[in-house]
Order: sequence, then structure tokens, then C-alpha cells
Amino acid sequence: MLVLSRRVGESIAIGDDVVVTVLEVRGDVVRVGIAAPRSVAVHRAELLAELESSNKEAASPSDDAVRSLAEALSTREES
Amino acid sequence: MIAQETPVRPGLRNDVRGSEMTEIPVIELVQDMPGFPGLNRFALVQLDEHGLLCALRSLDDPQLRFLVVPPAAFFPGYEPVVDDDTVEALGIERVEDVLLLVVVNAGTSVQTATANLVAPVLVNTATRRAQQVILDDPSLSVAVPLAAA
Repeated sequence: MLVLSRRVGESIAIGDDVVVTVLEVRGDVVRVGIAAPRSVAVHRAELLAELESSNKEAASPSDDAVRSLAEALSTREES
Repeated sequence: MIAQETPVRPGLRNDVRGSEMTEIPVIELVQDMPGFPGLNRFALVQLDEHGLLCALRSLDDPQLRFLVVPPAAFFPGYEPVVDDDTVEALGIERVEDVLLLVVVNAGTSVQTATANLVAPVLVNTATRRAQQVILDDPSLSVAVPLAAA
């Protein structure tokens, strides 16, 4: 990990397209602004980790699981 | 027997029953699905006859698909707010063009199936661009049971 120290108002450039700016420091909370193109996802790390894990668990269910879910939903729809 | 997969031209309603289908519309993700880098081209296929259960099938990796449902049928109060960046990224011009889907984890049975409400998939049916949008709402969960809905 590259470690840099910045003051409020200063920035860090990442690659060609991403700029991180320290906006405010209040107590132990740092407010950070990120300028990045739309193609680059920017999220709280722990939220992204949770989402990755959720997507991976949900991905590519077995045909059996799909079939029983489809049947259950049809029943629901018809009731 | 494997469930019949019907390719869907994304519709403008709460289910995804398509109209005339001449080719399989390619849905282009403007950002990777978290956990699945580099796979941006998907097709939306219908898995049941009511248009409630669908799959986003990767056109780049034949093994990959995500089960998705339109949430209105299960979570009627669910109205995620779409931010301006997403509107711009997907080229959304009319709210009617937006198809809202949530990823379903089939679990081991219907009782354990859950839907991800914190990161819905938004599809702009006009541009066919889509994105899994992570909502900044701590009250939403990544695994909400479908059975309770």
C-alpha cells in the first residue's frame, strides 16, 4: 500500500482518471471526495466486499433450485 | 427438464413478459457486477410463464447467470432512489424506460430464497444499458427473504 499524508484541500491522483481529495477532517472522521469516470465503481470498501460476496453466492444457481423456485412462484401467482 | 428460457425484450411493466422478439437484446452493464469483473454483456431471459422469475445470462461466460425478479410483486413499498450519476450513466430520459430488478439467491428452497435490496439492477430499456446500483441506505439488506413477501 502506498502511504501519503495530505492536508484538507489536498488531493491524490490515481491512474489517469481518478482524483481523491481530502475535504474535511472532524475528529476521527475524514470526509473524502472522489472524482472518477462513470465506468469506475467507487464504494465504501466493506459495502463492496459484502456485495461481491452476495453476488457470488447468488450466481449460477443449479437448475433444480431454479425449477423449484419457478414452481413456487407460479403457485404464488395463481393463488 | 430444464426450465424453458425465453429471451425477453425488456418490457415497461412490473413483470418482464416481452412483446415481439426478433433478436436477443444485449444488455450492456456500464459497470462490472461486483465480484464479476470484465463481464459486461448479458441477456435477460424469462424462466417462468408469469414473467416473475428471470435470469441475467452472461453472453461472455456461458456458465454465469443471475436470477432476478421485478421487486414490485414481492416488496411493494420498495422504491429505490436513483441518483443523477446513474441516470446519466444509463442515459435515462423517462422513468417509464427503467426496468427495476433485484438479484435473487435461490438458496436451498423457496423458504430460504432471498433478494438483494441494497443493490438493485437497473436496466434502461431504451438504451439497453444497465447497472447494479449500490444504494446508500443502511436500512436495506443484501438478503431479504422472498417467502415473507
